[in-house]
Amino acid sequence: MEETNKQVPVTVLTGFLGAGKTTLLNRILTEQHGKKYAVIVNEFGEQGIDNDLVVDADEEVFEMNNGCICCTVRGDLIRILSGLMKRADKLDAIIVETTGLADPAPVAQTFFVDQDVADRTKLDAIVTVADAVHLSTQLTDHHEAEEQIAFADVVLLNKIDLVDESGLEVVKERIKKINPFAKIINTTKCGVSLNEILNLDAFSLKRVLDVEPDFLTSDHDHEHDDDVTSLSFVSDTPLDMEKFQDWFSKLLQTKGQDILRTKGILDFTGESDRYVFQGVHMLMDASPMGKWPEGKERSSRLVFIGRNLESMNLKEGFENCKSA
Amino acid sequence: MKADTSQFPELDKTKFEQRGTEFKLGIPVTNAVTVGNSIAVGFGDGTVRIFTSGKSSEPIKAHKGIVLCMSKDGDNILTGGDDGRFLKISLDGKISEIGNFGTRWVDHVTANNGSLVCSSGNIVYLWSPNHKEPKLFEHNSTIGGIAFDAKGRRLAVSRYGGVTLWKKDYSNKWNSSELNWKGSHNKVIFSPDGKYLVTSMQENQLHFWRLKDKIDSAMSGYGAKIKSFAFVDDSKYLATSGAKEAVCWPFDGDGPVGREPICLPYVGNKLVTFVEPFPNENAILTGLSDGSVFLSEIEKASNTIIIRSFTEFEVSAIAVTKDCSHLLIGDMGGNILWTSIWDEEKK
Repeated sequence: MEETNKQVPVTVLTGFLGAGKTTLLNRILTEQHGKKYAVIVNEFGEQGIDNDLVVDADEEVFEMNNGCICCTVRGDLIRILSGLMKRADKLDAIIVETTGLADPAPVAQTFFVDQDVADRTKLDAIVTVADAVHLSTQLTDHHEAEEQIAFADVVLLNKIDLVDESGLEVVKERIKKINPFAKIINTTKCGVSLNEILNLDAFSLKRVLDVEPDFLTSDHDHEHDDDVTSLSFVSDTPLDMEKFQDWFSKLLQTKGQDILRTKGILDFTGESDRYVFQGVHMLMDASPMGKWPEGKERSSRLVFIGRNLESMNLKEGFENCKSA
Repeated sequence: MKADTSQFPELDKTKFEQRGTEFKLGIPVTNAVTVGNSIAVGFGDGTVRIFTSGKSSEPIKAHKGIVLCMSKDGDNILTGGDDGRFLKISLDGKISEIGNFGTRWVDHVTANNGSLVCSSGNIVYLWSPNHKEPKLFEHNSTIGGIAFDAKGRRLAVSRYGGVTLWKKDYSNKWNSSELNWKGSHNKVIFSPDGKYLVTSMQENQLHFWRLKDKIDSAMSGYGAKIKSFAFVDDSKYLATSGAKEAVCWPFDGDGPVGREPICLPYVGNKLVTFVEPFPNENAILTGLSDGSVFLSEIEKASNTIIIRSFTEFEVSAIAVTKDCSHLLIGDMGGNILWTSIWDEEKK
């Protein structure tokens, strides 16, 4: 999924019904003058969309027949993106608006799994619009809301004028606990500078290097078993590549359904390059990304977002990968 | 057909390129369909052009965005577009709208004996001759492909999880049966003898059903999605794209189970993106991802000749006129070669 100039960026807008997705979409379409966008919507859209090129889709989640239980893709996106790539005029970007209850994983996985889609388009970022007033309840009641936060590169925390300061802090803490990577932007009526949500290239491996997750130091005592949380590990001791690959591939094979997202920068014994990876469930994109910067300490960093992480002995597994 | 080893892609133009006319239109070619001795071509800007020997081909503005699919009904062309319209276009360029689905794309079109069929979303619409309103066939997922058998009594509709086979009984009532196989099925075709049904899948494989006993099996081992496949020489072989060779599965006798396909290799080691049977011969025209096109005899790979050298754009359409006098090649870069097949003196 590495970028080339030919790939059209695809921005995915998720968020619960009423959070403000369509408001944001119409802002993008009216403010980016002279740009050609295709917008893929579903029939349960909240209000009218002001664009020449609107494609109606049904969110169809297909299981791939490849023996991988959590490998699902969005069939409608494969069909529509492949079709749009045959257009004579080139699109500047494609925006996919999902329904409120959509799981973003199949959307992201489509860009890993389908070669035609991966060749001609790239997933730019998942932008989740959240309602500051109702998000806490939604996170408790619907696992889709948790997934939308877990997969977000940007969380647009909307309607902040309707909550007080302490209420806002509670919501933000909750978001950070699920997803320490996501950039949280406070807005009313989706008033955000568009360069904060478009052309982010958030799924490229290069971007993994820039991300400094905003970790909370809170303990994990009070969670339900199926809450989405994140765990991170750092090691200054170089890792053994073979041990790591063995542990990590087994982990994804057996726990891939519960592990929503992973990202990491790895320092392997005897390797001069940094190894960078990012993954969605069982699917991974990984590559050496050049030498370690001079004068900077080498260290390995690994982050998991998922359910039941406490039960996976991640700390022990990671410790065992350290070179003796 | 004779081997012509003097022609290589890196060298001069092929004799077909020298003899024919090349168009550099810069608009992706999405489809081509043979209508008698003309060939209609659909483009990524919504236009259709009709190529006929001795006539010029002017663009016909058919759809707003993309011509997604094409077929024919007698001497008319059928098209479906991303503007939600299902159109019938006559060879002199007259357009009539059969259906309009707004922001929903018309993904597939076909026809048989005057019945016009298209699919949009998960519904197949069938207009019988002289009927204003279509009959609707609903399915459980978006439709990947539609195909009539040669007699027009069976309509196969591929979808997520298999194929729905609609059969018309003698009181003209349509009844459905399901052929299930896990995964998402795209293009579907009947073998010309009506014995087999073949689909291409989201995974890099094909699936087939032998209709008399519903025996089914996968044909796998491909490096890419199989976008183009067709039966050759009545139903003797199934030629397929999706590998660096044209993979031809034997469908004579008891079919392909337990038998090896014939693999036709090409210069340049590029992916085969399009296969088109050469009419009335045990031979195929093969288009590659670099734009080159070859004509090969399936059982005699040494008898391969080059038709078009590379253009850098994947071949997305090949068609031969009904009288086998001309052929047309189109690619994703908008390059078209329209050429006579035989030397003038051989005519």
